[in-house]
Amino acid sequence: MKVRFWGVRGSIPVPGRQTNRYGGNTSCVEVRPRGAWPIIIDAGTGIRRLGKSLMETPFGDGGGTAHILISHTHWDHIQGLPFFAPFYTQGNTMHVFARQREDQHLQAVFASQTEDPYFPVPLASLRAEINFHELVEGTQFSIGDARVSCTRLNHPWVAMAYRIDADGASIVYASDTAPFSDVLLENEYIKTPPKVGAPLPQSVAEKLASMREALVAMCDGADLLIYDTQFTPEEYKQQPHWGHSTPEDAIAVAREARVKTLCLYHHAPKRTDDQQDAILVATREQLARAGDSFDVVAAFEGMELTLGDED
Amino acid sequence: MRLHFWGVRGSIPAPGPDTNRYGGNTSCVSLRTAAGELIIIDMGTGLMHLGNSLLPTDFGKGKGRATILLSHAHWDHIQGLGFFAPVFIPGNQFTLFGHAKSSSMLEGILEGQMNPNFSPLYTLKNLGATVEVRALVPGERYEASGCHVTGRPNPHGSTTALAFRIEEGGRSFVYASDVGYADGGPSAEVLALYRGADVLLHDCTYTPDDQLTRKNRGFSSYEDAAAAAVAAKVKHLVMFHYDQDYGDDDVDRLKAACRAALDRHGGKSIALTAAAEGEELDI
Repeated sequence: MKVRFWGVRGSIPVPGRQTNRYGGNTSCVEVRPRGAWPIIIDAGTGIRRLGKSLMETPFGDGGGTAHILISHTHWDHIQGLPFFAPFYTQGNTMHVFARQREDQHLQAVFASQTEDPYFPVPLASLRAEINFHELVEGTQFSIGDARVSCTRLNHPWVAMAYRIDADGASIVYASDTAPFSDVLLENEYIKTPPKVGAPLPQSVAEKLASMREALVAMCDGADLLIYDTQFTPEEYKQQPHWGHSTPEDAIAVAREARVKTLCLYHHAPKRTDDQQDAILVATREQLARAGDSFDVVAAFEGMELTLGDED
Repeated sequence: MRLHFWGVRGSIPAPGPDTNRYGGNTSCVSLRTAAGELIIIDMGTGLMHLGNSLLPTDFGKGKGRATILLSHAHWDHIQGLGFFAPVFIPGNQFTLFGHAKSSSMLEGILEGQMNPNFSPLYTLKNLGATVEVRALVPGERYEASGCHVTGRPNPHGSTTALAFRIEEGGRSFVYASDVGYADGGPSAEVLALYRGADVLLHDCTYTPDDQLTRKNRGFSSYEDAAAAAVAAKVKHLVMFHYDQDYGDDDVDRLKAACRAALDRHGGKSIALTAAAEGEELDI
């Protein structure tokens, strides 16, 4: 299968010369099992250009099917949806997956994204057939010959990680998440940053530990682990409650799960290309020092990887 | 008055090497008055960069004051609010004018943006600064940041967007983004709002050809912008809110075509600027 990155940025798009190489669009990754329709993970602003490229294929004539797995509905992960051209062509079939919420149906959440006065085109007027599928952590399902599983992450309002197995290869997408050590992020708004390293109540520590255990288990042996590494360690200490990790956190999960390649992802909006280069170099050095055998890459817009069986 | 462009793009941010010169951030401009006050118009992603530039000033100490004028609440005009650093610093005070039936309805619209489904901020109440939200009455003259401010709604697809006129000591600036006129151009009231302005910043999203296939979206072509500038006898036209699919070279062509349209319509004396992120214009 092929994996292509259309948006690698977190929080907010950042156009400008400082981001030309890694790219300024927010989260969107296309996974393409051999001979199959695309499975798209997240719909940040990167999905706009993906949509344009799909319109050159059967999607342009209303003959396409796409599955879109949404990690969570924070704006940087859904902003591109109303600009996804295949939605506007009759005959296309779309399946949107995201975590079930207690209070509101998924379709209502997405409908409110484009309701008056925020956007001129309401969801109900889109011409493609759009089906919404609500997930709970632990759910497994098939998309064609691909197997998909999911588990929850430590992020405000809760995000979902996905694993896709196809063509004898596997990728895991784990964004957005805080490490599982200093704060439990669920539905409550946390105003004051907790102290990093301070002991947690036992029930909270246990819940975080089991969340991490499920994530490590889901990552087991993956060919590619795409992981939220928005923060430097210093930044994490300032904002441990924002729900993002550091490369160190990603390395620990990758090591325990014996993944083959770790991909740094969801770069901070303020990170320049040169700074991101330096983070990648430092992360590589860290792996070399520790004697780790897996590889690390930093996602950039346009990066394409081929995994598993060749054609 | 000095105008600064922080975001000049329409609809959705457009990062990439082909937008480096004009910029890919969505709508946001600031006006520094001769008396040193600050007026911000629209809160697209450009607002984040304005906010960061304000941190070394009074806004970094919680002693900042500014007026914010909001043309309408489409996402490309409000997305920057949650990333505007001064709004998290207690003590800073903002007065925000926008279009709604009541101030509480306008506040509700901004509150919806912070809904926890979409934003980790959960609610406007988590912003540390004071934001007074006021529904603007069209045609009424307000005193804000030491200037006279008047707003009028323009048609914008299925909704409306406010155009603003700001005057200080005999100088005038008009902001008119996101407008798709009915055939015949601006209404008499809107034309009066534009009339004789030192600078008219106008929606210039499309070429006329592209506009034809997207008429219902409620945006202007350079022909519309040039015609409005000539009819209102303004001194200087600023093109703004370029389509997200236009690269820098496309905007260069848009500007050349707009110049030709001005000349053709009898506006040879009207200066023309294509707004570019990071640039400034003295009024």
